[in-house]
Amino acid sequence: MTQAAAINAVMRTLSDPTRRAVFERVAISDEITVVELTRGSGVTQGAISQHLKSLKHAGLVAERPEGRNVYYRAQPEGLAPLVDWMSHYGVFWRDRFANLRTLLKEIDP
Amino acid sequence: MNDAALKSDTQDIVVDEVFPHAPETIWKTLTTGELISRWMMAPTGFEPVKGKHFTFQTTAAGAWDGVIHCQVLEAAPNERLVYAWKGGHESNVGYGSPLDTVVSFTLSRVAEGTRVRLVHSGFVLPKNDTAFRTMGEGWKKVVRNLDAIAAEQDSPKPLH
Repeated sequence: MTQAAAINAVMRTLSDPTRRAVFERVAISDEITVVELTRGSGVTQGAISQHLKSLKHAGLVAERPEGRNVYYRAQPEGLAPLVDWMSHYGVFWRDRFANLRTLLKEIDP
Repeated sequence: MNDAALKSDTQDIVVDEVFPHAPETIWKTLTTGELISRWMMAPTGFEPVKGKHFTFQTTAAGAWDGVIHCQVLEAAPNERLVYAWKGGHESNVGYGSPLDTVVSFTLSRVAEGTRVRLVHSGFVLPKNDTAFRTMGEGWKKVVRNLDAIAAEQDSPKPLH
């Protein structure tokens, strides 16, 4: 998947407000089950399961089955495709300054 | 959603280091095409002359061809080099989103050699500043910013 495609996949997944709310609840919990997520959500358990499936597909949540329950937790690395310009250039310039130092040593020992 | 995430503002990247070389030598590395390509990227059409247009080819993203369009805004030999740095495309979020920035190098002679201060300014918040940068400040904060990022993605126009 290209970087742009990966960004689009993550953004598409998070563009649904209900799904985003599910993701946010997963993220603020260490681990959480579908039943707990459904409670007080105003959405059916089936709908929550579908949202979790999409989030899992986008690499934003991971699951851990234990007995009859499945525990979900957030995967921060799923957000990595959203890498922005500022962090890109922060790294870019620090790397380039290191290159510049090496080059100067070569041309002006 | 926190207000700071929606506020339209600009932010700068600053890298400030001392090199054990004379300003004249450093100026050469900043303004000679062949040397620029050895530490940064290969420029096309660069000349240290005010008003001069040149480009850098970087990694393409979506509808953006990866070309950075630059123009020399200031060139004071051995002291200061400033150029505009523009690229990106409206259809991109994060890397590859519209970028209208300025890069400046300021050289000053110090006892140990030359202080080089790079300022890359004009990153627009929240457009150029999304989740990844704030991840260093905590995962929960990232989550709080998601609303803003998603709203930006849904909206055909910038929020500001």
